[in-house]
Amino acid sequence: MFQIRWLWQNTDKKHRVIFIIAMVFSAVTSAALLINPFLTSILVDEVIVAKDTKLLLPVLSGILVVQVLRQGLRYAMVMMLESSSQKTVYNIRSKLFTNLQYQEIRFFDTHRTGDLMTRMTGDREWCRHCMAFISYSVVDSLVMFVSTLIFFFFINWKLTLILAAVAPLLLKVTRDYSKIIRPQFIEMRERLSEMNTAAQENIAGNRVVKAFSREEYECGKFREKNRNFRDSNLHINKLWLKHFPVIEGLANFMTLATVFLGGFFIIQKQLTPGELTIFTSLSWALANPMRNLGTLINDIQRFFSCASKVIEIFYARPLITDREDAADHPEPKGHIEFKNVSFSFNNTKVLENISFEVKEGETLGIIGPTGSGKTTIVNLLARLYDVDSGEILLDGCNIRMWKLQQLRGAIGTATQDVFLFSDTVDGNIAFGNQGLTEEEVRDFARRAAADGFINKMPEGYETIIGERGVGLSGGQKQRIALARALATRPAVLVLDDTTSALDNETEKYIQQQLAELPFKCTRIIISQRVSSVKDADQIIVLENGRITEKGKHEDLIRRRGYYCETYALQNDLPVDFEAAKAGCE
Amino acid sequence: MARNKFDVDETLESPFSFAHLKRASVYIRRHRYKMLLALLLSMFASITGLFGPKIMEWVFDIAVPNEDIRLLILLAVAYTAIVIIGILFTTIRARIMAYVSQDIVYEIRQDLFAHLQKLPFSYYDSRPAGKILVRVINYVNSVADMLSNGIINTILEFINLVVILIFMFNTSVTLSWMVIAGLPVFLAVLMFIKPRQRRAWQQQSNKNSNYNAYLAESIDGVRVTQLFARQEVNISIMQRLIAACKTAWMNAVKISNCVWLSAEIISTLVLILMYIAGVYWLGGAIVSFGVILAMGQYVSRFWQPIINLANIYNMFINNVAYLERIFETMDEPVVVDDIPGAVELPPIRGDVEFKNVTFAYEPGINVLENISFIVKAGQSIALVGPTGAGKTTIVNLISRFYNLTGGEITIDGEYDISKVTLKSLRSQMGIMMQDSFIFSGTIMDNIRYGRLEATDDEVIEAAKAVRAHEFIMEMENGYYTEVNERGSRLSAGQKQLISFARTLLADPKILILDEATSSIDTKTERLVQEGIRVILKGRTSFIIAHRLSTIKSCDKIFYIADKGIAEAGNHDELMEKKGLYYKLYTSQLQDGAKPEPLVV
Repeated sequence: MFQIRWLWQNTDKKHRVIFIIAMVFSAVTSAALLINPFLTSILVDEVIVAKDTKLLLPVLSGILVVQVLRQGLRYAMVMMLESSSQKTVYNIRSKLFTNLQYQEIRFFDTHRTGDLMTRMTGDREWCRHCMAFISYSVVDSLVMFVSTLIFFFFINWKLTLILAAVAPLLLKVTRDYSKIIRPQFIEMRERLSEMNTAAQENIAGNRVVKAFSREEYECGKFREKNRNFRDSNLHINKLWLKHFPVIEGLANFMTLATVFLGGFFIIQKQLTPGELTIFTSLSWALANPMRNLGTLINDIQRFFSCASKVIEIFYARPLITDREDAADHPEPKGHIEFKNVSFSFNNTKVLENISFEVKEGETLGIIGPTGSGKTTIVNLLARLYDVDSGEILLDGCNIRMWKLQQLRGAIGTATQDVFLFSDTVDGNIAFGNQGLTEEEVRDFARRAAADGFINKMPEGYETIIGERGVGLSGGQKQRIALARALATRPAVLVLDDTTSALDNETEKYIQQQLAELPFKCTRIIISQRVSSVKDADQIIVLENGRITEKGKHEDLIRRRGYYCETYALQNDLPVDFEAAKAGCE
Repeated sequence: MARNKFDVDETLESPFSFAHLKRASVYIRRHRYKMLLALLLSMFASITGLFGPKIMEWVFDIAVPNEDIRLLILLAVAYTAIVIIGILFTTIRARIMAYVSQDIVYEIRQDLFAHLQKLPFSYYDSRPAGKILVRVINYVNSVADMLSNGIINTILEFINLVVILIFMFNTSVTLSWMVIAGLPVFLAVLMFIKPRQRRAWQQQSNKNSNYNAYLAESIDGVRVTQLFARQEVNISIMQRLIAACKTAWMNAVKISNCVWLSAEIISTLVLILMYIAGVYWLGGAIVSFGVILAMGQYVSRFWQPIINLANIYNMFINNVAYLERIFETMDEPVVVDDIPGAVELPPIRGDVEFKNVTFAYEPGINVLENISFIVKAGQSIALVGPTGAGKTTIVNLISRFYNLTGGEITIDGEYDISKVTLKSLRSQMGIMMQDSFIFSGTIMDNIRYGRLEATDDEVIEAAKAVRAHEFIMEMENGYYTEVNERGSRLSAGQKQLISFARTLLADPKILILDEATSSIDTKTERLVQEGIRVILKGRTSFIIAHRLSTIKSCDKIFYIADKGIAEAGNHDELMEKKGLYYKLYTSQLQDGAKPEPLVV
């Protein structure tokens, strides 16, 4: 039931009122369903049978007024429910999205895109359905059943009691059914989520699929998910159809009992024929709510299982948040210090005892083998993850004491895995800084050596580029990502292997541009190329999560370690450490 | 090619027509016998239902007045039997229809998915992934009921209508015409509403699609968003999108709900008119009193199916908006496909020849012009040149990701690649593209994607060759560690190594590496080269790279510029020439670094 409470909590005051009014309308209109049959019976008895036209027009206008009022109220009710459910769903969607945006990266490491999508589309749809439809169906059925029962009770309590005796039986059947069906719905939406994930990954990886001509394999993989989802649906249907005959039978029992027990009572002189007519003509008002019950239970249980999934991410709380006592840093300077920082991922050590300091305006170069933890340093600095031990200081203040918005605003990263949004080139460059003028966007693009190819695109800066930058070459994406980072005019500029796909001339041009940026910043340059880091004030070599070499280019060349070896490899120099060592001795 | 972004509605060209339903009939027809059976069962159930009132009549007219309890019990038993038969029929029908509707959904979804597999890169490149996804999952789910129960119920309601009409006309022709007179009014309302309703639901599906697109993008791009602390901007964009969803929805239901409302009101008006006419005519002895009573009952029984039909119609209109989108995707032309009579490419040696190849992505703007070259089996070719010169295009043409604008490409001197099946062509090539993609699953599965029947040992072998074995073994579950695309488990370089292993495992005759090692450090790269040297012996390879060490060791180097090959030759020849390649090579060396041993 907490699912319903949660839904209610997310309805604002105004729409709660609207919702309640709609529920009242629902009750009134469903009770009013009994008026017109009553008026019609007057019409028949007093007008048609009595051949008295005096009452004809009043009764008919009565019927018309009741019908117009009832249907009008019905329409108003439906629209009010639509409106309040839409508003609530709007609130939920908005909060869900907000919450998702602030989840830490670890959350996204464990939740698949397809699964999150299912929660925020299909599951969320059931929340709407619950408020806009299930709600009034329940009220309708309940009011109709109870009001008819009460009405009957005053006419003949004995017969009514016998009819009402069905209720506990019905409750038991539906309770049992609810219990059985709920896990099945959970199962079914799990299958849906799996299918969604399979389709989503197939779309995202369509290039790899084609490259390996795995179309048939992918179809087979998807077929399995598709079939599982279908089978799960069919299984639910099977269970439902096992219970359906019982519920339907009980509903029919109402008519059966009315007619035959009624007949028996008349014979026993316990009931008059006129009373029985009322019973039989209204027995549908008892049977229909019972019939609806089955469908409602299916809907409600499905809503419960879907809503639980939505609630899970609704209340997911990130561990990385602003501390209450976070200090204000309106003007970040860019002085960075790592003190004995260690970090592990799923019990695998990624960084161990990392210490270094980069002063304001200086450049740090990071180089090291694949998987040595270079990108992790950036992730930790921007607090995408928190360190296990040690501390990171920015401007002399532990980054945990910074406000996240300010911390991340101070750091501009050109990411290694370039993700671009399906937006214009202009919009992508101004991603982190919406206030840029067109001129400024061009200027940053020029500095990132992107202006040239952008101008050659069909619509220049207004060209829409695809998600992940599909359609652009690796080098083009990297340059847009660089322009995007520069555009935030950060105090700390991080280039995470940003020039790997660029030819050398372009890289040289970019290096020149970086040396004369129109704003002051500390630079962290991660690269595989010695040429990118060799002019840095300080270079660290990261191997297996540890700093193994540290110093300026000349120092590191002299050390004859990883750095020197890489330098030699990249410059086509023969590496002859043995001879070197011999020379030293 | 115009691209679509998350906040732009996709236009839909085709006008509404029942053609969409006709088209859907392909799926329905497969189940026609089951559906016919379901229909018959439903009809039987209604017919048995007709006996109910008859039995009740006997109860009141015979059993009760005669105080015959035995007859009463007998009738009760008969009634129970009828109820049981009715329930039985209904249950069986529901079961059959569950199969039908689930199968229809399953088939449409599978066909849609299979078609998507054939669509060219440009299809995926020109729209957000979320907009494709919503069609495969959500839209297909929506049309299920319409195509199964919707159709059966329509037929049933029509039969109902006809039966009632017959009864009505039997009772009173004049009054029947009056009752029917309401119908044109209702139809006029329907016709008036329809175009608006349809537009409103299309709008709603557009807005929903936009929401999906941005949602998918935001999830995938969350790292960038957080790094740029842009959550607030994104949230306000999202709020705009969901507000648009809300408006579109409200607009659509506002119109849609008018359908039942008008049906209810019109039916009441008709009923009232019928009573007035009946009563006044009654005085004139045209209509008898019993007739009016009966007609009063028929009016509601006539309009009930109409109201039901109106509701079904409503559902049709809403869902046709989705159906349109599904068929639109299925109609998307498959640009690169097997030609009729395409032959299987037999196991190849690996010669590749370009004959006057010209290519344009968009007509009139040639990216490559008149390129011709011959590569012998086993040769390694490096493609170098400025970014955007068309290096990637050339390698994409070899694996026929695009059709040529002019000229031809042959393999082993005799097979035109456009005349062999795509599967036989691509399965003999190993293509590693700029973006490595990691599927969610274990590392083992990811590498095995290259050759599905490979044993664990073979997978490990491939991983060892590309020097990925060490870091994989360091992970908590080794090869069985779960990874995914967005996850930060793997560094960019590690992802590349895994996709490299995947490509090697495919055991290709022609290997294409498009900046495959850009994120891998030089030392590892060197080790990888050593590791794969044996494996690659005798295989043709095309390599796009920036690193000189990689390029230098190739048998031949093509310098791509100005829509063609500006220079070709091996490293020494090109250095001799002192042309474009020479310039590129020397510029890449560190200033002052001279090619002599680094000995102090």
